[in-house]
Amino acid sequence: MRGRTNAGLVAGGALVGLVVLTAVASFFWTPHDPTLVDAAQKLREPGGGYPLGADKFGRDTFSQLMVGARTTLYVGVVAVGIAAVLGVPLGMIAGMTPRGWLSELIMRVNDLVFAFPALLLAVMFGAVYGAGTLTAMIAIGVATVPAFARVARAATLQVMVTDYVLAARAAGRRRPAIAVRHVLPNIGSMLIVQASVSFAIAILAEAALSFLGFGTRPPTPSWGRMLQESQELLFSTPRLALWPGLAIALAVLGFNLLGDGLRDYLDPKLRRIR
Amino acid sequence: MPSHAGTPLIEATGLNRVYHRPRTSLTRPGAAVHALRDVSLTIRRGERFGIVGESGSGKSTLLRLLCALDRPTSGSIRFDGQEVSGRPERRLRFLRENLQIVFQDPMSSLDPRMRVRDLVAEPLVALGLPAGDRVSELLAEVGLPPEAADRYPHQFSGGQRQRIAIARALAPRPKVLVADEPVSALDVSVRGQILNLLADLVDELGLTLVFVSHDLSVVRHVCETVAVMSAGEIVETGPVDDVWEAPAHPYTQELLRAVPTLEGLW
Amino acid sequence: MSDPVSTLRVEGLTVRAESLELVREVSFTIAPGERVGLIGESGSGKSLTALSLMGLLPEAVTASGTARLGDRDLVGVPENRVKDLRGRDVSMVFQEPMTALNPLMRVGAQVAEVMTLHGTPRHEARERAVAMLERVRLPEPGQVARAYPHQLSGGQRQRVMLAIALANGPGLLICDEPTTALDVTVQKQMLELIAEVAPALLFITHDLAVVASVCERVLVMYGGRVVESGPIREVFTRPRHRYTEGLLAASKLTPRGTRLPTVQGSVPSAGQFPDGCVFRNRCPHATPTCETAPALTGDGHAFACWHPAD
Repeated sequence: MRGRTNAGLVAGGALVGLVVLTAVASFFWTPHDPTLVDAAQKLREPGGGYPLGADKFGRDTFSQLMVGARTTLYVGVVAVGIAAVLGVPLGMIAGMTPRGWLSELIMRVNDLVFAFPALLLAVMFGAVYGAGTLTAMIAIGVATVPAFARVARAATLQVMVTDYVLAARAAGRRRPAIAVRHVLPNIGSMLIVQASVSFAIAILAEAALSFLGFGTRPPTPSWGRMLQESQELLFSTPRLALWPGLAIALAVLGFNLLGDGLRDYLDPKLRRIR
Repeated sequence: MPSHAGTPLIEATGLNRVYHRPRTSLTRPGAAVHALRDVSLTIRRGERFGIVGESGSGKSTLLRLLCALDRPTSGSIRFDGQEVSGRPERRLRFLRENLQIVFQDPMSSLDPRMRVRDLVAEPLVALGLPAGDRVSELLAEVGLPPEAADRYPHQFSGGQRQRIAIARALAPRPKVLVADEPVSALDVSVRGQILNLLADLVDELGLTLVFVSHDLSVVRHVCETVAVMSAGEIVETGPVDDVWEAPAHPYTQELLRAVPTLEGLW
Repeated sequence: MSDPVSTLRVEGLTVRAESLELVREVSFTIAPGERVGLIGESGSGKSLTALSLMGLLPEAVTASGTARLGDRDLVGVPENRVKDLRGRDVSMVFQEPMTALNPLMRVGAQVAEVMTLHGTPRHEARERAVAMLERVRLPEPGQVARAYPHQLSGGQRQRVMLAIALANGPGLLICDEPTTALDVTVQKQMLELIAEVAPALLFITHDLAVVASVCERVLVMYGGRVVESGPIREVFTRPRHRYTEGLLAASKLTPRGTRLPTVQGSVPSAGQFPDGCVFRNRCPHATPTCETAPALTGDGHAFACWHPAD
């Protein structure tokens, strides 16, 4: 059956697409230099080449939002990348040797990391290695490893009891080949869903860290830092907080919708009837 | 048929398999389940050997042990004179090259994300054997067009999928084909095609066939020797016609009486 | 309790999923006390036919035509009215007894629940539940009533399902492959029990021998249509439709060394059946005439075939 169009998937895809397009466009064109401090434009109202106005340093809000999308995606890609590269193999090993000591060790260490608040970890990393986008990304990535390891392990356990894995063993396949040929392709869809949900969490974490001053350093524009800088003007000029807040909310919503939509779309049981 | 036809090929002696249920109490260990009790059997070269039993009879456990997909708690399995049980996978090459399996449900035993070409070639790749034109040759042997190679399993009907599974099992030119309920997931109108195909292939290639089923009448059609299993033991074994005509064990008698037939109508 | 004199009359039942016609123009009747088998392979539409009588079709699948049990309509009725009929006038036993029971509820309570749902007072329902469990010949029904589903064997669970189905004294019992998941030794007793207790029975299966041991009359479905119907003995000994003929031939397992008769090709997937006679792409007797759909004709023993066997 040609599945009914999945509204969540379309909306999520559109929002994510918008963020990606904005980020790509910002490499070629922004209305103004987002880091240009111009005292003459201080707190300028929207209009006349400044579609969303300017902040307390006279920097164009729209341009900052555009370049901020870049930072957001950059952080998400690297953090989710770290988490997936570490978490997926660990989870697969744990899932393929469910009764071994190695599996036990992996999952207990996993629990330990999982129990540790991600933001606290990032703040600690920041304190030790110096605050910055890279530190934040690594901290968020490490904190997300357990989420991937768990999903990978649960999915691997399901795949390992299927007849086709038994058939592969009977055909003479060894474990590494089974992992690459059979397990990975069949848990892929669940990992993609996890990735998009983790992406949303990473965006939020980066915004929070930047807000706290442990994330992206000035002058690189970041939605989190825009929020922080607008804090003192929240009552006099609320639009300065509104736009980055809205951008974060829409991006997070987009990735979450995309994740849920992909879950439904990639699940063959939900996709077609019988 | 090879000159040494009739000599023992698979010999199992004193096989036991005990599973432990997960514990339900902190103080006591989980209950032990005796899935297989002191099972011994001999399968000869060129023989068509049937194993019949209901769910929980131990036939699936026995099959897994014979195929070295599980290890016995005690006992020994010899294939062509070499001990099988207890060997690590890397020292089982002699078995994998010579014994292949067709599973019950071709829907679940073929990886849905692999193309037919890769599925059929998998045993060859796993054993490091050259594939060459073998895939199209095998597809032709089981009555599938060469274009089938580029498609995915879900694009085929149940009977066609079982043909794919048979082609895959024959890929490394095994001596023994183990078929685990190969027709019980298929429509009746297709069942005959697969049973005929199996019979033809066994004849042409001089295979030894181990055929596992819950249905004695299917085994009677396919096999010459049968072992009837119940509660982890072989309760009766012998030429299938003898067992069919004059079952000796009460369980076999009950099994035969219970099978619904159309005989009364004709 | 439903009217004891209630005959099921199905006329022109058609089931569609979007543009696909999955069941086409199915008509039959089942009189009280009659046991009718519905035979078909995968994709024949046999289960959809049953589900449409229960008002349990999946989303996006719709039924049209009429089905009346006595004076009550079963098809084309709004959900809130079907709910009252379901379990009271018509009830159903499914293939998988493991998933059809609530694992966290005692068996007796599950039997009692269907009665309280249809208005029996709670305390009375509890007593009658034990009586129902006894009626389906579960040993020590009092104890079984207090057990949870996982403490019972597959055969016992299926008996519990039967007790639930019979709890409100329905006029029609539908069984969809009720013994396929059971061992043959357990199956035999279950079949005997069903034949004995069913008020009127529609028995769905792919297994010809099972139908022969339970039913008096049979409908053979293929590609969403009834291709042949009639008394079991007549249909099975003298099949007229070429599909029934092939199916019967393929069901006979001959001794070793002989070739099995087969039906060529494979069962098409839903919506892939040919126009005209649905069997013509697999039929050895097909001619251009078969491009027109044959009607189901004949009194008692009816068949829809241009070139029937004799």
